[in-house]
Amino acid sequence: MKLLPFGEGALFVELEQRIAPEIAARAAAIADSWEGRGAGTAISAYASVVLRFDPLLLEAGEAERLARAAIADADAVTKSATPRDVRIPTTYDGPDLTEVAELSSLSVDEVVAIHAAGRYRAYFLGFMPGWAYLGPLDPRLHAPRRPVPRARVPAGSVAVIDGQTGIYPYDSPGGWRLIGHTDVKLFDAAADRPSLINPGDTVRFVPT
Amino acid sequence: MSLHVLAAGFRSTVQDLGRPRYARLGVPESGPADPFAQRAANALVGNDPDACAIEIVGLPFTVRTDDARVFAVTGPDVWAVGVRRLPGWTALFVRAGEELTVRGSERTRYAYLAVSGGIDLPPVLGSRASLPAASLGPIPRALVAGDKLPLGPARGARPGLRIEAPAYDGTVAVIAGPHRDRFAASVVRALSEAAFDVLPDSDRMGVRLEGPPLESAAGEILTCGLVGGAVQVPRGGAPIVLLADRGTTGGYPVIATVIRAHLGRVAQAVPGQPLRFYWVERERAVEALRLERRALVPRSD
Repeated sequence: MKLLPFGEGALFVELEQRIAPEIAARAAAIADSWEGRGAGTAISAYASVVLRFDPLLLEAGEAERLARAAIADADAVTKSATPRDVRIPTTYDGPDLTEVAELSSLSVDEVVAIHAAGRYRAYFLGFMPGWAYLGPLDPRLHAPRRPVPRARVPAGSVAVIDGQTGIYPYDSPGGWRLIGHTDVKLFDAAADRPSLINPGDTVRFVPT
Repeated sequence: MSLHVLAAGFRSTVQDLGRPRYARLGVPESGPADPFAQRAANALVGNDPDACAIEIVGLPFTVRTDDARVFAVTGPDVWAVGVRRLPGWTALFVRAGEELTVRGSERTRYAYLAVSGGIDLPPVLGSRASLPAASLGPIPRALVAGDKLPLGPARGARPGLRIEAPAYDGTVAVIAGPHRDRFAASVVRALSEAAFDVLPDSDRMGVRLEGPPLESAAGEILTCGLVGGAVQVPRGGAPIVLLADRGTTGGYPVIATVIRAHLGRVAQAVPGQPLRFYWVERERAVEALRLERRALVPRSD
């Protein structure tokens, strides 16, 4: 584990360099533990956590001591929300579907069957409101990031890159390969649970 | 009481200090691209630092107020026109029914307009900041002419008070980023030795730079959380300094982080005004921030 400064108002905790459910869960627990201490907010990801604080209120050494305590206590922190099963009705009609099939030496039907058979864990949310990093993606699907990202990916696009899958909640630029789309609303600021998918949830794509 | 927008510029939005508490739902922080300038505008009119003000992109920007208020306009090279020409970085008294137009130069990328009492909008996810990319905020879009913005109760602000405008000189202090050791020593040196041009497609998400390529040995990293000022290096080696509307996470190595006191210098840079970076220790960054906060006390000189 590494503990490094990230600007004057944050620390960067790097746990490991790989994707695994237990590592993402530990990162989330460290984030909960830090936020429970009231020093600031945290952002957990696959295998790292950004712990933020006010550098005018908390001296660097003190922040580091607090971070070590939060990391040590993380396992005792209970998860705030119960994981749920989320089903995403999906039309497999994405502009990159044929290309993913070719890159994977599979038929389009096989790509759809493999993607729809997966049960994906929401490792964490990031990038834009309601975007969940979902995985693992079956390694038979080959989908390297597009060399030139699209300037505009439409909201609802179901996308893959090697090892991961996700759904664009809003129109945005993006470099993932688009294999389908859904009409489900992924983020609603006015709802009690603004994000349809939350960390720890299991996500399935249901072909329509 | 309301503020009537008569000319809205090009991509102007309302901003407060943003929504850092929702990063774990993927919600960008938002807030002003030039935090000192917005804080100064609010301080000049007697508002709290988190009061909602207007970040202006595209000048001129014209408003009219229903009742007498104190206004302040900040940013590089800004000034205002009411019944006469008025200075920037100064608390200005504006009578009921009077119009005020914010003006600047080609070096004014972001200007800030604060009104005593603040813009009184219901928070969405804890903030009144607009994030048009995700249709988020009480005004989920850029401002347009005809918008009527409710104002909070006016406070006892004193016209004539001044805050000194900071140097927008393009020199930018950075501290080591969490992935600096993934870059060769020559690349780390290049960041502080070269001049970087600002590309025109820079926006509130980030300032895109052009200079010597800063190729990392790693290429991509595991997606991780990000902070404002992070200098991210995508494949190809053209760095991006992340600003208020950055995605909460990203997958490119972060070589450096711009100190908070210099975020405005980066945000306000325009094409043709190169940025030069220099490395400092974290302590210097905190000291610079402390000095900046002290500078936020208006003076009557």
